Amino acid sequence: MNDLSKLMFHLIASGSEEAGAAGHGGEHAAHHATSYWATMALTGLTLLVIGFLLVKAKSGFTNRTFRGVISQSSEQLYLFIENMCVGTIGSHGRKYVPMILSFWLIIFFSNVIALFVGASPTSVLSFNLGMALVSIGYVQYEGIKSNGVFGHFSHFAGPKLGGPLVIISAMIFVIEIISEVMKNVSLSLRLFGNINGGHQAVDAMNKISFLPLGELLIPIKLLTCLVQAMIFCLLTCVYLSLVTHHDEDHGHEGHGELAAAH
Amino acid sequence: MSQTSSSVPTPVKVVVGLALFVGGAFLHSSWHPEFYKTLEGQGVPLDFGITLSAIGVLLFTFPIIDMFFVKPLQAALHERNSALETTFSEVEELRNEMTTMKSNYEKQLAATEADAREKINSQIKEAQALRQSVMSEATEKADALVKQAQEEINMEKNRVLADLRSHVTDLALAAAEKVVAENMDTDRNRKLIADFVQQAEVAK
Repeated sequence: MNDLSKLMFHLIASGSEEAGAAGHGGEHAAHHATSYWATMALTGLTLLVIGFLLVKAKSGFTNRTFRGVISQSSEQLYLFIENMCVGTIGSHGRKYVPMILSFWLIIFFSNVIALFVGASPTSVLSFNLGMALVSIGYVQYEGIKSNGVFGHFSHFAGPKLGGPLVIISAMIFVIEIISEVMKNVSLSLRLFGNINGGHQAVDAMNKISFLPLGELLIPIKLLTCLVQAMIFCLLTCVYLSLVTHHDEDHGHEGHGELAAAH
Repeated sequence: MSQTSSSVPTPVKVVVGLALFVGGAFLHSSWHPEFYKTLEGQGVPLDFGITLSAIGVLLFTFPIIDMFFVKPLQAALHERNSALETTFSEVEELRNEMTTMKSNYEKQLAATEADAREKINSQIKEAQALRQSVMSEATEKADALVKQAQEEINMEKNRVLADLRSHVTDLALAAAEKVVAENMDTDRNRKLIADFVQQAEVAK
């Protein structure tokens, strides 16, 4: 298991750095190819695990009371995500449950798999960026669908200001656009930093002595798996809430409060 | 529960997702810009091929999870909630029915009690009237019997008095015969006898 962990970790996290240090273009491309396919293989493994668990869970949906631990856990997870969506977005947030639940499953199980194989898709920044782009892209799509193109983008300019203060509105608009773009970076980097940082910390502690001291970090890493999945989903809910609130007064105030909280 | 998050058909999402996945693989194998190395040198390893493929994977994973897992789970939860609501409504109906039956029963019980009380009162009144009637009849009969008995007593008394008077007279006459036979003063003796008889009546 330890060898497998080292292999996956080096293939994904360290392979490109070694190639860069070597300075050979061909070797760099070869390592990149390995990193790509290793990431896709881990993604496939994650999806297989999720699929297996969902099949097991679905087989228990036959009675009024769900049978089996996995079915009951999946019900609790669904209710947890539903509460998160409805609590954060509002009553119309129930329609986002499938997407948020999918994000949660992929991130959480990807993180948990990393505890066994030493690497995961979520420890790859590019993969996290893809998830963030899907999340923020969907938020923008919902914002445009709810408020119209003009309404959605005029929201970025803040409250309507007259006269020379229009310049301030323009500046706010630019800042908000940058902020929207940077949401992708913050979502992806946060997840990458936490998961990859955990792997790096375990690797560093394992090198201290012949004892695998890094494994002592497993409880913290398990907590990180849960917390990071929840943070990603919660922030997606917050972003959806910001763009789908129709109450104008509440919308502007809420935007400020939620942005400050973020 | 029936809200949907997107109007794009699932097959379209899957096809677009697969296309992006393949496109990501192609981008990864064919495009190696210099800024990749710069970013890697700064600790930010980036590969847009992986990003594009990840987007593709997510695009076809989301609808599959939705269709395969979320919708059945929602349907099961909906079915369970419906069953629970039906059970609750049935229980509520039965409770209402029970309350109605209890109310009817209490009304019937009260009516029966009132009816029984009325009948008892009626019977008591009837018995009291009968008692009065029987008592007055008995009193009348008793009075009649007493009166008849008194009349019979008076008649018997008079008869006995007459018999006694006759007997006394006979005795007196017998006594008088003896006295007359001795004194020969009949008038005076008769007067004495009459006085005697008179005294005897007074004494009675």
